[in-house]
Amino acid sequence: MSSRQIIVENLKKRYEGDFYAVNDVSFLVNAGEIFGFLGPNGAGKSTTVTMLTTLALPTSGKAHVGGYDIVHQAQQVRRIAGVALQDIGLDPVMKSMELLVTQGQLFGMSRMDAIKRAKELLELVRLSEFTDRPVGKYSGGMRRRLDLAMALVHKPEILFLDEPTTGLDPASRRDVWAEVRRLNVQEGMTIFLTTQYLEEADELADRIAIINAGKIAVEGQPAELKAALGAESINVTFGDNPTVEKARDALQSMVDRAQIDRKTLRLYLQNAAYAIPNVVNKLNELQLQPLSLTLTQPTLDDVFLQVTGQRFEEETEDEAPVEAVA
Amino acid sequence: MTAMTKPITQTTPSVSEKAKSMPLWKQITMMTWRNLVVIRRTPASVIPGLMISVFFLFIYEASLSGAATFFLAGQSYLAFILPVSIISASLSGSGLAGQYIVRDIENGYFDKLLLTPISRIALLSGPVFAGAFMLAVQTALILGVAMLMGLESATGFAGILAVLGFGLLLGTGFAGFGVSVALLTGSAAATSGASFAFFPLTFLTATFVPINLLEGWLKTAAEWNPITYVLQATRSILLEGWNWEYIGQGLIACAILGVIPFVISLWALRQRTSRK
Repeated sequence: MSSRQIIVENLKKRYEGDFYAVNDVSFLVNAGEIFGFLGPNGAGKSTTVTMLTTLALPTSGKAHVGGYDIVHQAQQVRRIAGVALQDIGLDPVMKSMELLVTQGQLFGMSRMDAIKRAKELLELVRLSEFTDRPVGKYSGGMRRRLDLAMALVHKPEILFLDEPTTGLDPASRRDVWAEVRRLNVQEGMTIFLTTQYLEEADELADRIAIINAGKIAVEGQPAELKAALGAESINVTFGDNPTVEKARDALQSMVDRAQIDRKTLRLYLQNAAYAIPNVVNKLNELQLQPLSLTLTQPTLDDVFLQVTGQRFEEETEDEAPVEAVA
Repeated sequence: MTAMTKPITQTTPSVSEKAKSMPLWKQITMMTWRNLVVIRRTPASVIPGLMISVFFLFIYEASLSGAATFFLAGQSYLAFILPVSIISASLSGSGLAGQYIVRDIENGYFDKLLLTPISRIALLSGPVFAGAFMLAVQTALILGVAMLMGLESATGFAGILAVLGFGLLLGTGFAGFGVSVALLTGSAAATSGASFAFFPLTFLTATFVPINLLEGWLKTAAEWNPITYVLQATRSILLEGWNWEYIGQGLIACAILGVIPFVISLWALRQRTSRK
């Protein structure tokens, strides 16, 4: 049994042109927890995963996976880690049994054992009926499930899932979530999961780290991070930017914190509901006409906004730098 | 972040994981088999290689046998030109292994294998041996066609097998070259481009006439080209008999053309797996 922990200290990865895809990243993943590694496209998630799973060497820094050094004990890391990369690496002309049995044998199983394990896993990911079909003819969801099965062949103690639900329909996504929880609870696997979906991290992860532009912006339990924002927020949306700014200047002193997000003013404070009348009165007084006014519990999206000053989705769509490692 | 202060040494497992793994020969067999399965399912990739070498043999024989046989002292031009056909098939066939690897790099399966405890040697030699198998088929086909065209060997059938052996040795050894390009570039275009290395090697040598009839820069190039000595060995086997000096030189040439690319390919794999 390995320590089932992941310890990362000052990890850096530099690519040509002095670009740091991962820039001094440190975090700890405890044994048996689901750790969500959250960030927009190009933030450095995949680069971190390729280093932790021994596919790439770090430029500097240290990391231990299950107690094994990722640089000097790569072979041991490979034995205890299961990996499903973002780009599903399955030879399209091969069939599911061939892929799984080959995988099992490479991990030291006898052919008989490997076949038994392959059948078990195909059952688990509901692909038993599709063993005659080359995997190139599988749908995206089926390939994703087979890839997960591939990662589980050798009963890993630590499982790395790099964006396991990207490109899946909502039903398949919930299937993956259920399976991730089952593996964590029943098999006691430590799970390191990267995602660009806040909802996914919120749903699954015991703890999360948000990575942005190669750096860890924040790390902690989702609930704790949300609570740290000051419980609730009142969101007031206006028709144009100058009005938003005017409203902020007027209301700032009444709340814990005020933040502008496009044309919406977010006012963070305890017991926000009681403050609504005062906010409305003030706006009336200044004749600032809101388009809408809502009250929300903080989400991870707000956490992201707070720590990076940017909106999560906006970043994803507009200025996502090219992911340096596929 | 508080846990960062814990000393790292504490987490190193006291009992090391029992390292079960497949014996190397089994890994190699499995990887070779895997590549052959893929080749069988994509037959279109094999045909052009087979066609072109037989085509060359026909063309050389038909266009040159009447014209330039004065140096042959009554021996057949077919036996003289056949080694060129075999060698160009070996050199272009040596690119197959690189193409198999590039295919795996592109579909991502190569990374999947790198994530297992597979031996790096098995990872490379699987495609190389699968390529060698295809090359054996191709060379046997050329030799079969040549025999139908009336090939006579001074050393009989054993000599024909020896020529087949030379073709295989050369093609398998030189596969390291295509493999290196595949690993360094990860590009199918670059890898198939690299197989054109067979052009200078096959033609800057005593391709159509014996080396003593060459002059000037071509003669110098031919003397430095290891292929010249492979040609000399295989020609002497078919035309004269077992000349062990020539055969020895031919084997040394094959070793040079095999060992250097092999060392480069191991380095290239390191580059790929460590600098990604």
